[in-house]
Amino acid sequence: MPQPVYLDHAATTPVRREVVEAMEPFYGPRFGNPSSVHRWGREARAALDEARERVARCLGARPDEVCFTSGGTEADNLAIFGPLRSQQKKGRTSIVTTPIEHKAVLAAVHHAARDGVSERMLDVTRAGIVDTTSLDRVIDDTVAVCTVMWVNNEIGTIQPIAEITERVKAHGGIMHTDAVQAFGKTEVDVRKVPLDLLTISGHKIGAPKGVGAVFIRRGTQIDPMLHGGSQDRGRRPGTENVAAAVALARAAELAIEERDMECTRLATLRDTLEEGLLARIPDAVIHGRGTPRASHILNISVPGTDSESLLMALDLAGVAASAGSACQSGSVTPSHVLTAMGVRPELAVAAIRMSLGSLTTPEDVARVVELFPALIAKARRLSGMAS
Amino acid sequence: MRARVLVAMSGGVDSSVAAAMLVEQGYDVIGATMKLFCYGDDVPDRPCCSLDSINDARRVCEGLGIPHYVLNLESAFGHDVIDNFVSEYAAGRTPIPCVRCNTFTKFRDLLHKADAVDASWIATGHYARTHGGELLRGQDPGKDQSYFLWGIDRSVVRRMLLPVGDMSKAETRARARTLGLQVVADKVESQDICFVPDGDHAKVIGRRLGADTPALAPGPVMLADGRVVGEHDGYARYTIGQRRGVPGGFAEAMYVVAIRPAERAVVIGPREALLGHGVVAREMNWLVDRLPTGSRVEVQVRHRAPATPAHIVRLEGDEIELALEAPVAAITPGQSLVLYDGDRVLGGGFIERGGSSARTTLPVIAA
Repeated sequence: MPQPVYLDHAATTPVRREVVEAMEPFYGPRFGNPSSVHRWGREARAALDEARERVARCLGARPDEVCFTSGGTEADNLAIFGPLRSQQKKGRTSIVTTPIEHKAVLAAVHHAARDGVSERMLDVTRAGIVDTTSLDRVIDDTVAVCTVMWVNNEIGTIQPIAEITERVKAHGGIMHTDAVQAFGKTEVDVRKVPLDLLTISGHKIGAPKGVGAVFIRRGTQIDPMLHGGSQDRGRRPGTENVAAAVALARAAELAIEERDMECTRLATLRDTLEEGLLARIPDAVIHGRGTPRASHILNISVPGTDSESLLMALDLAGVAASAGSACQSGSVTPSHVLTAMGVRPELAVAAIRMSLGSLTTPEDVARVVELFPALIAKARRLSGMAS
Repeated sequence: MRARVLVAMSGGVDSSVAAAMLVEQGYDVIGATMKLFCYGDDVPDRPCCSLDSINDARRVCEGLGIPHYVLNLESAFGHDVIDNFVSEYAAGRTPIPCVRCNTFTKFRDLLHKADAVDASWIATGHYARTHGGELLRGQDPGKDQSYFLWGIDRSVVRRMLLPVGDMSKAETRARARTLGLQVVADKVESQDICFVPDGDHAKVIGRRLGADTPALAPGPVMLADGRVVGEHDGYARYTIGQRRGVPGGFAEAMYVVAIRPAERAVVIGPREALLGHGVVAREMNWLVDRLPTGSRVEVQVRHRAPATPAHIVRLEGDEIELALEAPVAAITPGQSLVLYDGDRVLGGGFIERGGSSARTTLPVIAA
């Protein structure tokens, strides 16, 4: 079999060598608990504080505004439920979000809604971005929290976070963004956008799974989700995962250092892939095409095919891609993002997300430009036979 | 290039052993678990309940070093199998969903997936065999599952591999241990229909048709002459030959002998009223060249029933009528009629009605 091709960087990325090296001492001699008073504790504490400072610098934040979590999902939940109670005490009763959020946000919002908060959805255009004409209808003085992702994880579209944030702040609401797919792919600087909370995740940028962080702007009142010790100012009790925090810091720095060059490289590869596929499959639909998109995601549907069969055929040919979203069983279900965008069901069930990243080479792209159209042609022959 | 086979893996011992045997035999094996339903529909945030089986199948594949995929066939299965299951009960019949699952889900929908990945073969853990393009009973008479397989397209038989069909269940379990499939070797076999938890089929009917459906509403229990002798709590809870829930106080044991959905009536009668001398089936599917009228065959009207000699008295479109050489008890509309010649499966259909005599036009049982 030819060299395997990994086109699923939006799902997860390989841990970078530099990151592994940065973590290693904490799996060795520097094993201390940052809360301990002795030398081992002090060493761990120093590393943790430094990691916090470095992550803060990468976001344009202050160190005390960075809270480490177990990953993006926990960070999103903390950002949504954390400020909710104090906002409700002020008589704010609604949560605003979009139908194209990651499940970590959508399920959290639905959960809050079951507890009596009113859930409001912004509209999404067919191109896959928030329809800003719906801001007037949805955002008012009752908004407790508004949460909108910065870059959509399935189609890569960049959301108008600055404009939404401005509107939410004008009405006194708390603004959160899930920047898991945006960080390292577009400029994410909390000095330039006055949002209150922002989520990042380690494993999307070359750190291990199981670490993330949430930026919490000074002055934002947060009730903890967990109850325990006073770690992280009580916002996130539990002995800190020092190695993971250091890993996140190193990966974040590398992502910022390399961002411009890497994004240019990925955009070139992505465009080559996109044009190559469109040239060979003229009726293919690229979701979000023509809209500002992050450089690493390409989401394509070809009429008369289905993602489940295509993903199997791609995998058997050594190419890793994904459909919109996978349920826990690993089975493929039509993407809620594409459905919310008004994509026809027969196209939604055919969607394949290819996401590029550190492993992607021009040879990978050339291979997929050849392979994918051949698989499509075969799938269409079969579906013609089956119908 | 090695021949590629797609194996339907439920996470149970039979299909796991099937996959392992095919790997041993040198096939290029791909495992697939079909996700067919989700009990969690009412509780959207709960994970799918078939998850454990899927995880078991995945672990087996991982151990065998073969790829494993989960195929979402929920909507097709819901339509082809569950909807039909419910409407059959509502029509006063006793459906047999495994047959439709084999016909439509495993050996049609899954076959399309096999085509999509260039697999020329499709395999399952069924206890049946194939030979020269014909389907045969499983070697182990106690485990034979050919009764459930009559509905598949004849052309598919040539693409089927049924590796455990030559073995007994005990041999399969022993094989699982020697193959290192400890995860599944001692799994308890479920006798339930997979989408009917705890065997409570009324719950499934109620969920689909609403709790107030006539099929689950009280109605009369009557004798064949129309005399009402009691009340039942929904005719869909009854099947032909059933004794449970039948009122007592008669000189002899009474059985359900007919269900009349139009009157919501459950008709009871003595044992001899259950005996049928003929049977009519529809949706007849042949797995051999269609036999002419007058041909002598053996028939089976339920799983695990002994085969009875019979001859074909009428063939019209996809409808078949047979005269039985010895009376058979409790011929049940909705169950399968399968035609055999020894071990060879000739074909089958869904039972429309049984008959008390072998006349060309059979009266509806006990009517």
